[in-house]
This record gives sequence, C-alpha cells and structure tokens, in this order.
Amino acid sequence: MVGGINKRFGGVRALRDVNLEVRAGEVHALLGENGAGKSTLIKILSGVHAPDSGTIEIAGKPAAFDSPARSREAGIAVVYQDLSLVESLSVADNLLLGREPRARFGFVRKRELMARAEAFLGELGIPLDTKATVGSLPFAYRQMTEIAKALMGEVRLLILDEPTSSLTSDEVRILFDAIGKATRRGVGVIYVTHRLNEVFEISQRVTVLRDGANAGTFVTAETDMKRLVNAIIGTDRLAPAASRTEPAATRTIDPSPVLSLSGVSNDRLSAVDLSVMKGEIHGLAGLIGSGRTEILETIFGLRSVESGTLAIEGRRWLPKGAADAIDQGVALVPEDRHVQGLVLDHSIERNITLPRIPHFSRWGFMQQGAATRRAETAVARLSVKAQGASSLVRTLSGGNQQKVVFGKWNDPRPRVLLLDEPTVGVDVGAREEIYGVIRNAARDGSGVLVVSSDLVELIELCDRISVIVDGRVARTLKRGEIDDAEELHHLLQIYQASEQGVLQELPA
Amino acid sequence: MTELTAPNVVAASTRSDRRRKLLQNLLRGERPYMLYIAFVVLLVVFSLSSPWFLSVDNFLNIGRQTTLVSIIAVGMTFVIIARQIDLSVASTLALSGMAAALAMSQINNSWIVGAIAGLGTGALVGLLNGILTTQLSIPSFLVTLGSLSMARGLAMMVTNTKPVIITNETYFAIFGEGSFLGIPVPIAWTLVAMIVGILLLHYNVFGRRIYAVGGNPTAALYSGINTKWVTTAAFVLTGALAGLAALVLSARSHAARPDVVQGMELDVIAAVILGGCSLFGGRGYILGTLFGSLIIGTLNNGLVLLGVSSPLQLVIKGAIIVAAVAFTKR
Repeated sequence: MVGGINKRFGGVRALRDVNLEVRAGEVHALLGENGAGKSTLIKILSGVHAPDSGTIEIAGKPAAFDSPARSREAGIAVVYQDLSLVESLSVADNLLLGREPRARFGFVRKRELMARAEAFLGELGIPLDTKATVGSLPFAYRQMTEIAKALMGEVRLLILDEPTSSLTSDEVRILFDAIGKATRRGVGVIYVTHRLNEVFEISQRVTVLRDGANAGTFVTAETDMKRLVNAIIGTDRLAPAASRTEPAATRTIDPSPVLSLSGVSNDRLSAVDLSVMKGEIHGLAGLIGSGRTEILETIFGLRSVESGTLAIEGRRWLPKGAADAIDQGVALVPEDRHVQGLVLDHSIERNITLPRIPHFSRWGFMQQGAATRRAETAVARLSVKAQGASSLVRTLSGGNQQKVVFGKWNDPRPRVLLLDEPTVGVDVGAREEIYGVIRNAARDGSGVLVVSSDLVELIELCDRISVIVDGRVARTLKRGEIDDAEELHHLLQIYQASEQGVLQELPA
Repeated sequence: MTELTAPNVVAASTRSDRRRKLLQNLLRGERPYMLYIAFVVLLVVFSLSSPWFLSVDNFLNIGRQTTLVSIIAVGMTFVIIARQIDLSVASTLALSGMAAALAMSQINNSWIVGAIAGLGTGALVGLLNGILTTQLSIPSFLVTLGSLSMARGLAMMVTNTKPVIITNETYFAIFGEGSFLGIPVPIAWTLVAMIVGILLLHYNVFGRRIYAVGGNPTAALYSGINTKWVTTAAFVLTGALAGLAALVLSARSHAARPDVVQGMELDVIAAVILGGCSLFGGRGYILGTLFGSLIIGTLNNGLVLLGVSSPLQLVIKGAIIVAAVAFTKR
C-alpha cells in the first residue's frame, strides 16, 4: 500500500524509502524504537504531513492527501493514544458526532441516533452501552468507542497507535476482541506497539523501522522475539555502544549511597528498594506505565510516600514537596520539558534561575546582574546555541531546550540528579553533548538516576540498571552483567510477560 | 558541573537588526508601544475637539476619576499574570468601605482603626478567594463570581443598605481631600500603589514567581515553587488594594455606601488587558496597566466634555476597548 516514502524535517531525514504493505483483514504490527519513524509514517498516512516523495496506494489506486479529512475520505482511520472523544456526551452521541440524523430546523432526531448507534455496534459485535457517558467508562471501553467511531463509514485501514499502553491485561483482551471484529469485516489494521508479546498474539505480519528506514518485514508465525529485537536495535548500533562505554569506566564510584529507598510504596509503587551511590549513574529500565517515572516523582516529593523510608547521604528523609527536595539537593529533569520543565515564553535566564530565585535576591529584590551572569555561564558551559541568555526558550531547538532544563540544576551541583528520558526529541549531536553533561555530573560526585526507553542509551551510560515492572524493582544488573541492548530488551519483555500472566514460549 | 566548554558565540545584534526588531514590536505589539501611541492619539483628538480638555485642572480631574480603577488594577495585574481572574473587586471595595466606616464609628472615631479595618477586610476577602481557588481547585472565575455576590450582600446587610457617615477630618485629609507635595492624595495613593506594584512585580522575587506560575504552572511546581501560595498572595494583594480604594472613595464622599461602584470590575479588567497583560498568563506590565486605566479614564472624561449622551458613551467605550485589544493582542 505504501511505497518508497521519504520525509525530511529540516536537516533530519525522518523517513528514507520506507515501504509498507497492509492486506485487507490483516493485523500488521509496526515496531521500532522511539524516533525510528513510526509516528512520522502514521502522520503521513493520516494526512497530517505530506511526504517529500513516494507513493501511497489504496486498493491498487494511487492516493494523495493533503489533509486529515482527505485521508479519512480515502478510508484511513487513526486511533490516537490521546483519545478524541467528548467525555460529557454519550457513546451514541460520540459515534455520530457531526453526522447526527437531523429533523427540520437542525433538531437532532434522538431516537434515530440511538437506533443507528445500537445497530452499528451490534453489527460490529462490540458490547457497549450506547447511553453511557463516555467520561464514566473505563479506559478500554473508551478506546473501543474510539475504534467504533473510527470504523463508522467506509474504512479500509485502521491505525492503532500504542493502544494498550495504559490498559490492564483484562482490558487488553477486550480490545483484542474488538480488533478481531474489525479485521473480520476486511479492514486492514496497522498496530503500533512496544510490547513484543502482543505482536505474537495479534498480528499476522510485522514491519520494523529503524532510523527512518525499513529494517525488515516478517511473517509473525515464522519469526521469534530474538530476530525482532535484532531488527529493532540493529546490530550496527551494538558494537560502537560497547566501545563508547570505555571512558565512563574510568570514573570512580564512591561506595557510599547518596540516596537510598527501602520498601517505598504508594498508589503506583510497591516496596521499591533502590540505592544510588555517589558518582554513580543508575538506570531505570521498564515499559511505559511500569512506574519508573513515578519513582523519580516520589523522590522529588511530587507523590506522597505511604510506607517505606528514604535516606539522603545516610540521613532519613521524607520528601514533603518539590521545594523540600530541592533544598536537600535533589534535582529533576522531567519527562516532558514543554509541560513540566520550561516556561516556553520566558527567557533562558528566567528559566535557569527559576528553582533558585531566592539565591539571586537580596532583601527579596532580584539581583538582576547576578542572575544574568549565572545564566550566561550556564549557556556557555552547556554550549546552548542561542543568541544569548535573554532569548526566549520557545525559539530554541529541542536539544538546546533540554540543555536549558539541565542548566536549571547546574549550580550548585545537585546531590541527586533525577533524569526522565533525558534525550527524547533531541538530535544525535546534542544527545552526545547531553551524555557528556550527565557523565560530568557523575564525575563531580552527583548520584544520577536515569529513566530511559532507549536501552542502548541506558547500557551506554549506566553503572547499574534496575528493571522496573509494575511499580517495583524486579532485578538490578551491574555493568558487565549485561552488555547489549538486545539482552536487556529480552529481559524486559520476559518480566513484563510474566507479570501479565501471558506466559508463552519466550526464547531465552 | 561540566567541562563541556564549546565557546558560545553570542551574536552581536547590529543596529539595523535592532531597528527592524523595534518596528516588528511596534506592529505586533510585543511591547505596549501601541498603547502609548493610542493614548497620545486619544489626547490629541480630545484636545482638538474640546476647548476644556487641555488643562491642568482637567488632567487632575482625570487622575482623580481613574484613581479607584488604577489602584485595583495594580493588584489585578498580578492576578491575571498568574492566570487567574478576580471579579469580586468592586464588591470587596464596597464591603471594605463599610468595614472602615463602621469600625471608626464604633472605636474612638480613630482613622487608624478605619484604615486597618478597610485594608484588612479587603485582604481577607482576597485570602478567601485565593484559598478557595487553590485549595479546592475551583476556577477563580467561579470563586470570585460567588464572592462578588456575597461581599456585596454582606455590605448591604450590615446597615440594612443605609450609608455610614464618616466624621474624622484626619481621615478625609489622608485619603481623600488633602494633598501631598502638591499632589492630591488620591493621585498620590495611586502612585504609591503603582510604585509598590512595579517593585514587587519587576524587581522582587515574588514577581518572578508570579510570572512563572502564570507562564507554566507545572514547570513552576517542578521547580519547587509553591504555586498555591503565590496565587493566593496575588489575590490578597488585590483585595488589600480594593480596601485602599475603599478608603479613598469613602474619604472623598465623607461616607461609606454599600451600593457604590457596581460593575467596576469590568473597567479594572479592561484596563489590565488594554495594558498588555495576557489573559493566558505569564505576561504583563504595571506601567501598561497604568496607561490602560488612563485610557479608560480619558475616554470617560473626553466623551463627557464632548457632550456625548451617556448610552452612546458606553457604546463608544466598549468599541474602543475591543479595538485596542485587537491591536495589542499577540
């Protein structure tokens, strides 16, 4: 269906000659690491972006769309992670939103609307109460409503973008049933996921993208997890990663823990035991929703601790809030820099001084000179590419924005540096610079705790890696115990699968 | 923390660059220059069309008439930059005035007691607005819509809607009728509020926090800022300034009335938005607010001098406000 798609964003080639074919009635899994090009491909198919070159064919006929509406007309429907339903309306209202059966003067024929929604759901075999308010439904049912809505009208291709990332295993089952019902009607499905066990459960074929290019298409029944992981990570990336770890190994780690958690539990964590040494880079590996981000947020005082204890440099401490954590020398570079890390419409200087405003004041009045000097030092040290410290953060590239977030915690040196996906949305060059910043922080004696979905990154950076499953530490690995991302990927999948009770043949 | 020292070249902006930027700013209204220009245009138009407009007496008149709006608008600037709104200010003014007058009539006829009661009542209403908004997470639009009604009702209840006469001459002199260094005291108090506002917002730690909370509340929270406290403080400041405005008004009219300045909150909000504050938070200037309220005051004054009928005045005023915001918006 899709041939030789190319897409550039500025200097970055997001997609290079990508081919993908989806047959009618097939579930075709689409795999790849973050940044491999899955989202870009979906956006091209859904008409959000236009390809620079390449062709799209639907049922043998070439198609081109310049808007999501045109893509929808061509029979492509996308179900996004963030749902597009009106929560205050009923299931039936949502299904026929914008296409309500009308009487004279624009009045809605409520009874006919209900009847049509019921009939449609019955035909699909989806057990939904049409009168229920969408906002009151569990997440899986909302997602089913979304799928049903996507299937209204002429649909040939349904695209599901990580539909299970926030579902329980029972809910996953309900969702899979709904997908099965769609394929039986002859709809082709593109299923994007990070969970390999689901690929084996639901898909007939798999296409893997890596660095914006095809890394292989497989018939699911004829392949195994090992081959898929190889295709996702790429053998070429494993070797240099090992050599790049060498300089890090020269770093000496003080064997005293700067931060330790024992039995820490709350609504998302269950008895987390963890320690970070002075000068150590400690990684947290886990799938989305495993509780890895919540561990950082709990340490930073954004989530309350229900039981268990924390200690900083041996002293017991219960985080009372972000301000308290900052006072103790804990720093957080959060997952979403736009929402949690930065005030985009303010200058670099304002952002960098934000966590320590009182340090730049006398009798409550800002010492503007000191604040500006501090920001300029940080801009120079972190080599932020900007006109100056007064530039608005919004005008910077992703990598440079991330450096500004690091700059907030640059001086004084934090005791504990918490990093959540520190290189997401950052180009390759800036990524290496950020690795340098992280290593230097550890060398200067900070304990670093880093969450990342990029397993190659974790293996490259970390002295130890803890595997997080379902809000607890399943296993902690030392450097040397595991040395390629492939093994770590297997391990994550195995722990995740055993947690979900989807015990199946997993290659060791 | 790091030895990562790639030299950072800060590009020196050339003169032509700067000139182009200034022009862009003028056109897009990134700095409130448009506002100053609008003000000057307004002065010229009224000067040419009315022989009485251009005089020191009339300007003092405008100053006196805008006092109440200007004083409260200083506080409202903080609230709006912090992404909130306070609809209760006019009612708070009425209630504070009643509190001041009643306190004086009950306790020694002392102007100090009156001042404390007035400011304190205003601050208390602000504190309640702030606490309800931040602790119960009710949108401030609804909280202050409620307190707008409650404060007005309370002000009417205490005397069964009758005014309270004030007889303290010192009180009149300090807040209403005297002058300080040749400036009539209502205008002097406006200047005091402005200067305190400028110092707090543009030079103080508190101002930095207000901008951060309004610019991105989550990022502020993640930077260890107590966003609830900062937001509440903005409401308290606004309430206290409504109290100050109440002292000025009651000292000028020798009495406190429970039914004064109904609907004035709209003038206050219009002044702040005209002054370049973003309703989405994170942006605004005290000086802009001053010009915003001067424009509203000048409009009121000029239209009266031109003999425009009062219904038509309302229409013109509203149209000019919308047009000005359309020009200065970003």
